[in-house]
This record gives sequence, C-alpha cells and structure tokens, in this order.
Amino acid sequence: MSLFSVLSIGASGMAAQRIRAEILTQNLANAETTRTPDGGPYRRQDVIFESTPAESPFSSVFNAQMEAAGGVAVSQVVTDSGAPEMRYLPGHPDANSEGYVAFPKINPAEDMVDLMGAARNYQANVAAIGAVKDMIERSMDLFR
Amino acid sequence: MLSPLAGQVERYMDLLTARQKLVASNIANADTPGYHTQDIDFQTEFQNAAGGPPRTIEVQGLQVKNDGNDVSLDRESRLLSENAMRFQLASNLLRSEMRILRSAIQEGGKTS
Repeated sequence: MSLFSVLSIGASGMAAQRIRAEILTQNLANAETTRTPDGGPYRRQDVIFESTPAESPFSSVFNAQMEAAGGVAVSQVVTDSGAPEMRYLPGHPDANSEGYVAFPKINPAEDMVDLMGAARNYQANVAAIGAVKDMIERSMDLFR
Repeated sequence: MLSPLAGQVERYMDLLTARQKLVASNIANADTPGYHTQDIDFQTEFQNAAGGPPRTIEVQGLQVKNDGNDVSLDRESRLLSENAMRFQLASNLLRSEMRILRSAIQEGGKTS
C-alpha cells in the first residue's frame, strides 16, 4: 500500500485511454475506407476495459494485504460485425454488379463523443497522478 | 520519543494513502463495464485501534450507468483533492512535532 503503486494505477488508466483514443481516431480516419487487407470495407473497432490487480514496480507483498482492484487494461479490441452501409455509386471501382458500394458503418459523431470521453478520462488520471505526486513530495519534506 | 499524537497522525496518513489508492483505481476504471466504486470506511478504520490493513467496501447509492459501472468522476475528483489536502495538513503537523523535538535536542546541549 505504498503511494508509489498509486502512480502505476494512474499510468495504467492513461495507457488504456490512449489506446482507446488511438482506436477511435483510426475509426474516424477510415470512415470512408472501402478496401482493407482482409477484403471488404473497414469495420469499426472498439475497446473493452477490464480492471487488473495493481502492478507495483516494487514488491507486491504489501499491496496484497489490501484486496482491491487496481489499474485498468484493455482486455479486448472488438470489431463491429454488422452489415456495411450500401451506397449507390455505379461509377465506383468497388461497386458490385448492382452498382452499390459497401462503406464502413461509422457514425463520426459517435466516435467524436467517445474521443472526448477518452480525453477527459485521460485528464482525470493525470490529475490523480498529480495529487499523489504532491503527497509523495509532502512525505519527503518530513525528512528535511 | 515523539508525542502519542504522532502515532495517530501516522495512522491517519496511512489511511489517506490507502484511500487515495482506491480513488486512483476508481478513476482508472471509470469506463470499465461492471466496475463498482470502492472506498474504505474512514471513521471505523481510524477508530480500529488494532491497526492493520483497512478493509475495502463497495460504495452504495451511486447512480449505475448502462454498462453496470457506477464510478462518479465528480465524487472521485472531490475525494482526490480532499485527500491530498488532508495529507498536506497531517504532514505539516508531523513536521512541526519533529521541529519541536529537534530544537529540544539542539538547544539542550547549549549552556546559556
């Protein structure tokens, strides 16, 4: 139960939110992508978070005393398997025999809102690290 | 050597550390589906003379979101700064205790 292990909890939150922001940005960037290495249009991806035991760089013996969830990690990146959006574009090179092109089913507004959520959450984790850093500095002042 | 107050302050700071850890973990898990806000019962733990590691409890009465998560960032950020300020207060108190002790050591050897 050391203050230093709290820093790694905050860092795990920052890392998880950054991965989420990366995935969301990837969705936005590929909102109109009709070709992928796997064939077909790009498919929207999203992350699933899970709480993990706090990992401390130091001995975790003391941490084990207090049974509690610690940090967070991305447990899975899920791909949307829903049907793509069909748009009628007969001149498009990827159009099928009826003239429809499969586009990714991505709502940019949804991804933008999620992206803002990720950014706010990242800030909250930074604030937590800042507060704990202040506490560590205060403890070290006791030696002076 | 320090006054009995120092022992109390030490326990207080230990509990604040434990609580801050739970607050940080609640913030980190603010988007984890099914996660429940965790905390310690500060009063009970502080009066628990036996000391030892505090027990964590799940906070009741928070609004649960669609994904089963009930972390309130407002509550956590309030606790975050409250804990930091309480810790600051306690460490200042402890420091002044030590200053008194130090001056007793230093001034004691002097002959007016």
